Amino acid sequence: MNLRVLNRLALRLAQAVPVLLVVAVVTFLLMHLLPGDPAVVIAGPEAGAEAIERIRHQLGLDRSLPEQLLLWLASLARGDFGRSLMLNQPVLVALGERLPVTLSLTLVSFAITVPVGVALGVLAARFRNTWLDSAVMFLALVGVSVPSFWIAILSVILFSVILGWLPASGYVPLSDGLLPWLLALLQPAAMLALFQIGFLARMARSATLDVLDQDYIRTARAKGVSEWSTIAKHAFRNTLIPVVTATGIILSLLMGGSVVIEQVFALPGVGRLIVQAILTRDYPLVQGTLLALAFLFVAINLLVDVIYTWVDPRVRYG
Amino acid sequence: MTNRRQTLLCGTAIIAAALTFAAGEANAQKRGGNLTYANVSAVGTMDPMVANAVVDLETIHHVYEGLVAMGEDYSATPMLASKVDISPDGRVFTFSLRKGVKFSNGKEMTATDVLASFERYKKVSPNAPALADVAAMETPDPYTFIIKLNKPNSLFVEVMKTPTYSFSITPAELKDQPARELEIIGTGPYQVAEYRKDSHILLKRNEGYTPDMSAKGPDGYAGKKTAYLDTIRYNSVPEANTRIAALQSGGADFIATIPGDIAKRLKGRTDITVMSVIPFCQATFMQHAKNPPLSTNRFLRQAIASLVDAEEMMEAAGQVWDRNPSLMFKPSAYYSDVGAPFYDLHSVDKAKALLKQGNYAGEKVVLETNNNYAYMRDSSQVLVEQMKKAGINVELKMVDWTTNAGDMARGTGGWNVTITGLCSGPLLGPQQWRLSLAYSQNPDDPVVTEGYAKMFATTDFAERKRIWQGIEKYFIEEGYMMKVADIADLRGMNDKFVGIKPYYMQRFWDVWAK
Repeated sequence: MNLRVLNRLALRLAQAVPVLLVVAVVTFLLMHLLPGDPAVVIAGPEAGAEAIERIRHQLGLDRSLPEQLLLWLASLARGDFGRSLMLNQPVLVALGERLPVTLSLTLVSFAITVPVGVALGVLAARFRNTWLDSAVMFLALVGVSVPSFWIAILSVILFSVILGWLPASGYVPLSDGLLPWLLALLQPAAMLALFQIGFLARMARSATLDVLDQDYIRTARAKGVSEWSTIAKHAFRNTLIPVVTATGIILSLLMGGSVVIEQVFALPGVGRLIVQAILTRDYPLVQGTLLALAFLFVAINLLVDVIYTWVDPRVRYG
Repeated sequence: MTNRRQTLLCGTAIIAAALTFAAGEANAQKRGGNLTYANVSAVGTMDPMVANAVVDLETIHHVYEGLVAMGEDYSATPMLASKVDISPDGRVFTFSLRKGVKFSNGKEMTATDVLASFERYKKVSPNAPALADVAAMETPDPYTFIIKLNKPNSLFVEVMKTPTYSFSITPAELKDQPARELEIIGTGPYQVAEYRKDSHILLKRNEGYTPDMSAKGPDGYAGKKTAYLDTIRYNSVPEANTRIAALQSGGADFIATIPGDIAKRLKGRTDITVMSVIPFCQATFMQHAKNPPLSTNRFLRQAIASLVDAEEMMEAAGQVWDRNPSLMFKPSAYYSDVGAPFYDLHSVDKAKALLKQGNYAGEKVVLETNNNYAYMRDSSQVLVEQMKKAGINVELKMVDWTTNAGDMARGTGGWNVTITGLCSGPLLGPQQWRLSLAYSQNPDDPVVTEGYAKMFATTDFAERKRIWQGIEKYFIEEGYMMKVADIADLRGMNDKFVGIKPYYMQRFWDVWAK
């Protein structure tokens, strides 16, 4: 990677600052525009008005909205993401504790999505207009259409209750062993992958079909190169260009999809953290977590751009 | 009268539970075993003085104890106190402490710890106003704690039994720790081994626990408690289907809050029992005493109250329920039928007549409810339809529970009618009811302020009950409180453990593995 590329990356990072600022302000406003009061959640429904007002004062919720926003932005500038009202711990610590769960879920899901999605797409393209193509496209359609919480509950009933193969809920840290970790994640990761596999398979099929119509593929076939070599050596790498773009999006979507899946499978990850934080109006936690996730998405996009230059040498920065 | 759905379900549960208990009692009590409890959410705080959610409290009361606690019949029962002496004028309360009681850190509990705990309570608890009339707190010796009040309060000991915002005793060294940041050290039969916020909490047996040997056995949250289980793990599993799957597949031994409609999925499993805890809460509508048009038109309030249809509302939500006109549950000594003439009238004709009497001119009435609790949402929708039939201009405002609870507590949001589930007040007595009465936004109503002052002043139970009945009748007759029904909480358990019994908040002491 030369200096020019590094400069370009630094510029992209700098461009992310206003994006993050907008995310910060919008998140803050959205949360505070929501009705509901964290002081009531903390004090409890049986607390008197006086106790609620005391907690509001302690939390600084009795200040004006612009004042609260400025205070929050000032603390962000100091690298302080605030303190969770409900968990009573710094937002970054709360996030740091739960991120391994979500990253584990995302990575296992990604590891299922990419090979299965690409393989199904390439197969469907190679055998286009056959029963295999129709079957793959039907599965892809089902994958993108079925609500994830519904299919996840059916999966739990089948694989956990009836067959007893996989645990119904909960997370086992990697430090407790690779196999228990994988067993705990396999079902939620597969359910999370289902939607993305459908999306990727359709994308890979379309990209492969485009490439298979190119002159150089015809030339390879005319030279007598075997069909699988033609696909594996000549077509596949060119198919990867749109697929790499899609995988970047998929990685982000997998993290987003974890919100529902973590709730169903009781995984203590970032998705469930956000849901709980929204339900309890834990303003600093929602704001801080969404900001951190926005930064992560920016980083993923940047990574995809870098991978792009490796996959397709014609793509250059600058 | 008990409804059919409940009869069927409870019949099965009671028979199965009876068989379980009968078979279980034959098994010898033994130490050991690990129980996993899948609950509806994670433990939010282990600070007993600020905790108010049932999920938190169920865990907290395994770790902490107070001077008194609610007994099996929910009356105030000595726990860390061996006895309580009340002066004839109802102003001085002398607590004799049990000797040799140790905290989980090994230190003996004395009056110094009790005093420090009450001082911390005054600083951090949302329920601190309960101690507003305390004139002095004294510790004449290490095993005596005295509270002196400015004015008589014959229900003061009853106030102290509350499991919500518990008056738990913690070591004196912790008295300056802020709310929700309390180091977890109690005198209970279990102690915390691992606490992962919003995921799980693991309790282990407190090997140094000092049981109350003067009691014959466990008595509600008091009595002689024995920790047989090595560990109890509370997992947060918010999705009901997953909780049931966890119970069915062995991932959990006990699960909380099963929706009535999906409890039938457990039918046919001889190794699983569905336990119905009823009464658990009561579904009650409130009418806002400060927002017009209801605040200015009692006939309109009464018209809306006459539209409540218990059966249709509860069946719409698939709820296991019981008819009860009282604001108190049946086990309560304060239970009476003063609300009966106004209960479950479901009469559109009566409502129309009352509207005419009140010269109702089509002013808008806002009914606020939430989508988180099926019985609140469905009862509200039924009431809205009834109100439309009677000719009331009603607007249904659907929000989430956090918004609904906040609006209810503070009287904000522009609502006229709203609904909630009231649990501890109807169970524990008038002293616990006081804060909930304020939901109708009239805590300063002389009926409340003067009524409670008189109730606290008298030591005669019959007189206290008469005063409470007056308050109860006033709130119902005026339409401020519209009782719908007592509702159940369904819980599920497998057959690996013995001694699990229905109770308002679940207990796992005196429970052992087969």
